[in-house]
Amino acid sequence: MSDALLEVENLRTVFHTEKETIRAVDGVSFDVQRGETVGLVGESGSGKSVTARSVLGLVEEPGVIEEGSIQFRGDELVGGNWEEHRGDIAIVFQDPMNSLNPVYTVGNQIKEALRIHQGLRGQEATDAAIELLEDVGIPDAARRVSEYPHQFSGGMRQRAVIAIALACDPDLLVCDEPTTALDVTIQAQILELLDELQREEDLGVLFITHDMGVIEETTDRVNVMYAGEFVESAPVDELFDAPKHPYTKGLLASIPGRTAGGDRLPTIEGEVPTSTSEPTECRFAPRCPHAFDACREVHPERIAVGDPDAAHEAACLLYDDEFEESPPEDGVVADGGETA
Amino acid sequence: MSVSSSRITDALTDGRTALWALAGLFLLALEFGAAANFVVGLIIDGLLAVPGVDGVGFLAAVENAVQQIPTLLSRETIPNGGYYNGSGYEGTFLGLSPAMAWTLRATLVYAYAFAAFGWGVWGYRIYRREYRAADWTPRDDVFDRFRGHKWGIFGLVIVFMFVTMAVFAPALGPTTVDQNMRNSYGYETKYWDSDSGSVETVLVGDANLGSLSQGNDRNIGPWTYDDYGRFHPFGTMQDGSDLFTFLVVGSRISLVIGVLSVALSASIAATLALTSAYYKGRVDLSMVLISDAVMAMPQLLLLIMLTTVLRESWINEVYSGGFLLALIFAFTGWTYMWRSIRGPALQISEREWIDAARSFGQRPTTIMRKHMLPYVTGYLLIYGSMTLGGAIISIAGLSFLGLGVAPPTPEWGRAVNLGQNYVRTGSWHISLIPGILITLVVTGFNALGDGIRDAIDPQSDSAGGETAGAGGGA
Repeated sequence: MSDALLEVENLRTVFHTEKETIRAVDGVSFDVQRGETVGLVGESGSGKSVTARSVLGLVEEPGVIEEGSIQFRGDELVGGNWEEHRGDIAIVFQDPMNSLNPVYTVGNQIKEALRIHQGLRGQEATDAAIELLEDVGIPDAARRVSEYPHQFSGGMRQRAVIAIALACDPDLLVCDEPTTALDVTIQAQILELLDELQREEDLGVLFITHDMGVIEETTDRVNVMYAGEFVESAPVDELFDAPKHPYTKGLLASIPGRTAGGDRLPTIEGEVPTSTSEPTECRFAPRCPHAFDACREVHPERIAVGDPDAAHEAACLLYDDEFEESPPEDGVVADGGETA
Repeated sequence: MSVSSSRITDALTDGRTALWALAGLFLLALEFGAAANFVVGLIIDGLLAVPGVDGVGFLAAVENAVQQIPTLLSRETIPNGGYYNGSGYEGTFLGLSPAMAWTLRATLVYAYAFAAFGWGVWGYRIYRREYRAADWTPRDDVFDRFRGHKWGIFGLVIVFMFVTMAVFAPALGPTTVDQNMRNSYGYETKYWDSDSGSVETVLVGDANLGSLSQGNDRNIGPWTYDDYGRFHPFGTMQDGSDLFTFLVVGSRISLVIGVLSVALSASIAATLALTSAYYKGRVDLSMVLISDAVMAMPQLLLLIMLTTVLRESWINEVYSGGFLLALIFAFTGWTYMWRSIRGPALQISEREWIDAARSFGQRPTTIMRKHMLPYVTGYLLIYGSMTLGGAIISIAGLSFLGLGVAPPTPEWGRAVNLGQNYVRTGSWHISLIPGILITLVVTGFNALGDGIRDAIDPQSDSAGGETAGAGGGA
């Protein structure tokens, strides 16, 4: 896979706080091809956004990329080489309220990116900005271009943010929960827009969300993230049809409408732990309904599971032949069904 | 180019804008001579401040030329320095008494200044209503809130009057520093001698000696004439020179030092605060250490030491030592402002549009200037306004101690000092009036700062009216 657009190997991003060192991202590897959408899913605090920020070189002190490599089109980025690829990787943030600067017009902010990446100025830049706004589906773009963010609705703001990202003419688009702050109908429109743009521009997309429904809609491959690690990676259909890791199963079970019957929606008890040291156990074990003794003593490696053609990997001792316990029957919903 | 010129043409064919432009031209025409004189004078002063420049022959000629241009609000157009000739006043404006002529001129100066201010506001409103692309920007709310802030308006009025005093100092004084103090034996004045019943001529210096304010038996108090028919709105000083003239000219040096030092320290503070907020971590920490170190130096001691050590150097000759004072104030004072704006700057640096700009490769300096600075300028204005008041007090305090601005350049603090022996006598005005002025101006700057703060951030309302109400409900 040397022709991958983005290749992340064993990435570890840590935050040195006064008390301890927090391993927000702890040894993740994935790649994104041109025209492909790779999903990154997990609960809040699992390290998704830090992964995204690491890819863009936006990790700030006290955070630091301690180990691993991030290669963009074969060029190593770790070590401060982001500047050469600025604009090739664009990001769309979660909250469009926050990612547009309220003191400048929308057009001004699009033009800022256009000036840097396409050298456009003056009327030329204005025309290009209007065109971009039209591309992202903002009606009456010629008038809207000179309006301020507060005059835009939430969905339009996110469209404007996407227009800014497109102004850089990127190859890779990182979407950090781009639809979380939007209501459901707008969410569908934005997803559709992203999908369209991806096909038009042949973009690679790294799509981060905690919403399994959105993952199913948009992505080609999925990485399930837990406490800084990838616990399961698989093509989207394979993952939804035959989830292996108990955490994935729990996430799937907690999508409303997916599990038949039952009065209450299954949940996963507890919350994501903060990892501060090298793992010596399965980090999900305390919350895992299938955990056995070895889970608390051995850190599981990623191993191939399921359909051999599907590049399906999971990090769970249930699938490791060295250990006796065997996975529960497929189709049986993880035993997270009891709720408080 | 064609775009902008056509916009200007459009604007001028629009009735209201044309009227506004005409009013501006009219206001400028009234004072064109003074404005040109001020600009040329400033350039000459600036050039002379550069070491090694002795002659400005060409510019001096220009200065002479612009001084010939008549202006409405000048001593020449509305003179007050006349004399009584037994039946009426000669040499004063329309034969009015010197007090009336001076009052008229001072009133006109202030009327003009407020008219110019109003003209500016009018222009802004036209722009806001008819030319600005956006119907509303967050700044509009700031202006509207400030307009409703009485304490802030009070501060603005005081500060505006102070600035007007500094700008129009030569026109406001009943006489000039040169004629009345520096070179008083080089000028003559005429007066009505009632004993002999004739008009006599006397040197200004001798007249001053006859109008000292040194206690109960020798005193020329506020709003009186001396024996030589000269009118003194604030009375005379202990050496017989005119206190009002001294004070209006002194306001200039306070304002210049204050503005210069605050501008310098604000730019240092803003640059460092934005840098530390943008880079955080070690950069931030090192700046905290530097500012702590600077804060640990006793400012007053440093001021006294440096003014003494540098007394002989060229830098102390620039603007009678005012420039040096401004530099010292700036380099000791930036830490407080830096502390105050570092917090807001850090807060802004967490916003996602900063990351967005970084992600598409905007340069750090541009991000700081474009995406962070607008959010701290409000705080800079607030703290700048308040620091300016502090700087004026410090300058006055140093002059009172005999340090700082070198005599004979008029300075408010020195007026307080000169009058301190007579505070308990009939000549109380020498110390009291400048003292009141200092207090008033500093209060004005603080009130202005309060007003700006409440306008920018309504939640920080210090007056407490609404917040207290909300707090009571909580």
